[in-house]
Amino acid sequence: MRDTMGIIIASNINIPPFTDVRSASALPMAGGFRIIDFILSNMATAGLRRIGVATEANYSSLMDHLRSGAPWDLHMKDDGLHILPPNIGNKNAAEIIRGDLDILNGIRQYIRKSRETYVILSLGNCVYNIDFEKVLESHKENHADVTVIYKNLAGVEEKELSRYTLLDVAEDGAITDIEVCPYYPKTTNAGIDVFVMERALLESILDECSARGNHDFIKDAIAQKMGGLRIFGYEHDGYVDKVDSMIAYYNNNMNFLGKEVQDEMLKNPKLPIYTKNRDLPPTKYGSDATVENSYIADGCKIEGTVINSVLSGNVVVKKGAVVKNSVLMQSAVIGENSTLEYVVLDKDVTVTDGKQIIGQDSYPVPVPKGTVI
Amino acid sequence: MNAKDCVAMILAGGQGSRLGALTKNVAKPAVPFGGKYKIIDFPLSNCVHSGIDTVGVLTQYQPLELNTYIGNGGPWDLDRNRGGVYVLPPYQSAAAGEWYKGTANAIYQNLGFLDRFSPNNVLILSGDHIYKMHYGEMLATHKKSGAAITIAVMPVPWEEASRFGIMNVDENGMIVEFEEKPKNPKSNLASMGIYIFDYQILKKYLMDDERDPASSNDFGKNIIPAMLNNGEKMVSYRFEGYWKDVGTVQSLWEANMDLIEDPPKFDIYDDTWSIYSRNTALAPQYVGDNAKIIDSSVAQGCRVHGKISRSVVFSGVFVGDGSEVSDSVIMPDVKIGKNVKITKAVIGQGAVIEDGAVIGETTDDSSPYISSMCTDGLVLIEGGATVSGGADIPKCSMVEAN
Repeated sequence: MRDTMGIIIASNINIPPFTDVRSASALPMAGGFRIIDFILSNMATAGLRRIGVATEANYSSLMDHLRSGAPWDLHMKDDGLHILPPNIGNKNAAEIIRGDLDILNGIRQYIRKSRETYVILSLGNCVYNIDFEKVLESHKENHADVTVIYKNLAGVEEKELSRYTLLDVAEDGAITDIEVCPYYPKTTNAGIDVFVMERALLESILDECSARGNHDFIKDAIAQKMGGLRIFGYEHDGYVDKVDSMIAYYNNNMNFLGKEVQDEMLKNPKLPIYTKNRDLPPTKYGSDATVENSYIADGCKIEGTVINSVLSGNVVVKKGAVVKNSVLMQSAVIGENSTLEYVVLDKDVTVTDGKQIIGQDSYPVPVPKGTVI
Repeated sequence: MNAKDCVAMILAGGQGSRLGALTKNVAKPAVPFGGKYKIIDFPLSNCVHSGIDTVGVLTQYQPLELNTYIGNGGPWDLDRNRGGVYVLPPYQSAAAGEWYKGTANAIYQNLGFLDRFSPNNVLILSGDHIYKMHYGEMLATHKKSGAAITIAVMPVPWEEASRFGIMNVDENGMIVEFEEKPKNPKSNLASMGIYIFDYQILKKYLMDDERDPASSNDFGKNIIPAMLNNGEKMVSYRFEGYWKDVGTVQSLWEANMDLIEDPPKFDIYDDTWSIYSRNTALAPQYVGDNAKIIDSSVAQGCRVHGKISRSVVFSGVFVGDGSEVSDSVIMPDVKIGKNVKITKAVIGQGAVIEDGAVIGETTDDSSPYISSMCTDGLVLIEGGATVSGGADIPKCSMVEAN
């Protein structure tokens, strides 16, 4: 798909304390990956050779992760991966950037300089594994101006649905209405905030919206243009979850303990997910290790008990320690005889010997980066 | 080309015939090791950590795996504009075309490569040893002493000294005598096959050696004795630490086991001296409800439902329900079915062990699989082989792929 470029707007969703130190797109997911790895890998696999990641704030972690784009084979001389810091001149970011349209406006030169006919634009922070070639095919077949990807979340509670951009989809796939996070959902079609359109259309939308002083791409541009544009839906029937809160972050990680989710998301040879290789040694299990139903990245040293948990790289679980129903980001150290239940530890957290941290399944305890307990 | 102070040449052409089926299709330096690595990762990573950014890898036997593995050198940060890693196979020239006749001849045939960098010193390494060593410190010693050659040596147990090339040194560390596998060793300082030469002196000796039709063109047999005869300044560099020549199935198995002792005899967890390797980041390892893993190392992408003890399990391995793996080395992408029992075995890459198979449990000297390569009860299953359901593979067996 040499005729298509990608634009990913790094998420500014606020999930304290984890997004105090990084963009939500750079949050670790499923042990070894970051949220942005999924869409970036999908774009690379679909053959996109020009992908811009536009950032708003807090992007050092994201840049450190993406670097030259080599893990996705996006380290190219001219095309490949471009990290696009916010274009705010000498102003304060908060004055300039009030919505994703402002970020897109800041990268208009990058969009204009591109030669691709189509753009896949991602504004969201969802986790999924999708074949973008099929999305593009559907976009062309429908002669759509804009294609919006969605998942039908039939059977899901109303308050869960309210987290999403909801779409009214007609029988022929045309979108007749869009509502962003309505309190009373009228449909179960949840958009993942990924749009396909011609690059020229995106440019004209940006031009028009900036002239009108608009800030929000979905509310001000797409929803307002329902009448004038052919907007179609593309239904993705695989795994989708939005990472927009601490509990959502926790649940999303825990979902990866299921074999179906693992197989679909991380073991599909046609849609591989790549990430930065950190050259970690294998994980080592001591004489007293007990591990059940857990997902464990490389570089860990486990001498205690780990049950129903997801561990990122370089985590140490010492003798007598028990980690249950928890998500541990990289380089956590759990001291001897400490107990963790329903806890989410950010990077570099140390729990000293003999401590207990117990959360609830409805509210896991989040611990900020670098904390020593 | 920019001049380099020191260029490393890694001898990676050997077959490693004592590794049996493990080196049927790959050269010894390409044999998997330690859960995520290949043997050649160790000298390559040592070079990078030692500040050596120009490395020639001399290949000959079954080079495909090694060539594709090394590629552009990116995983070791050896994809340099000035320097980097170069795979150097034997080649044809207008005058002749021949295989590498010996270790010295392999370097001789690549003097043209070395000349491009006009190095002051050349570091000669083997591609089949497991160790961590700061070559930069050895190079500093070499330069300070002004030696023609500096040879790394390490003390070995006296009773094993007669298996090594032994260096007899004086009180200043000068090498006064070299004995290849002496019956009555006078010293227990073994040569590690790691040499730093002054390049101009190396070049002269290689050219002289090439003119001698009786020579076997080997560093240990010819070059070093010739230098000793001529009274060149030869200095020993003493190395203390873990070093293992993984030349046999048994020693390869032992070196893997050394990683999982507590504390490990050889530490690959030191992040100031990471061992780099070419591998794609895979999904984390999933450990199932009824799994039990103790005293073992397990790498990414595995799915474990059975029991694993005292074993090194590489990436992408599946261990089914009710299976028990102990004292074993399970190489990448091996599939182990249900209720399999594996004891003290090395299972090659991609092998399939079907449900109910038993490996390394029973003794049966009449079994057609018994091999002299496999000593001390150890079993070797070749990569890609299938051990069919319910089969009983006795101790000391070697099972080859069809």
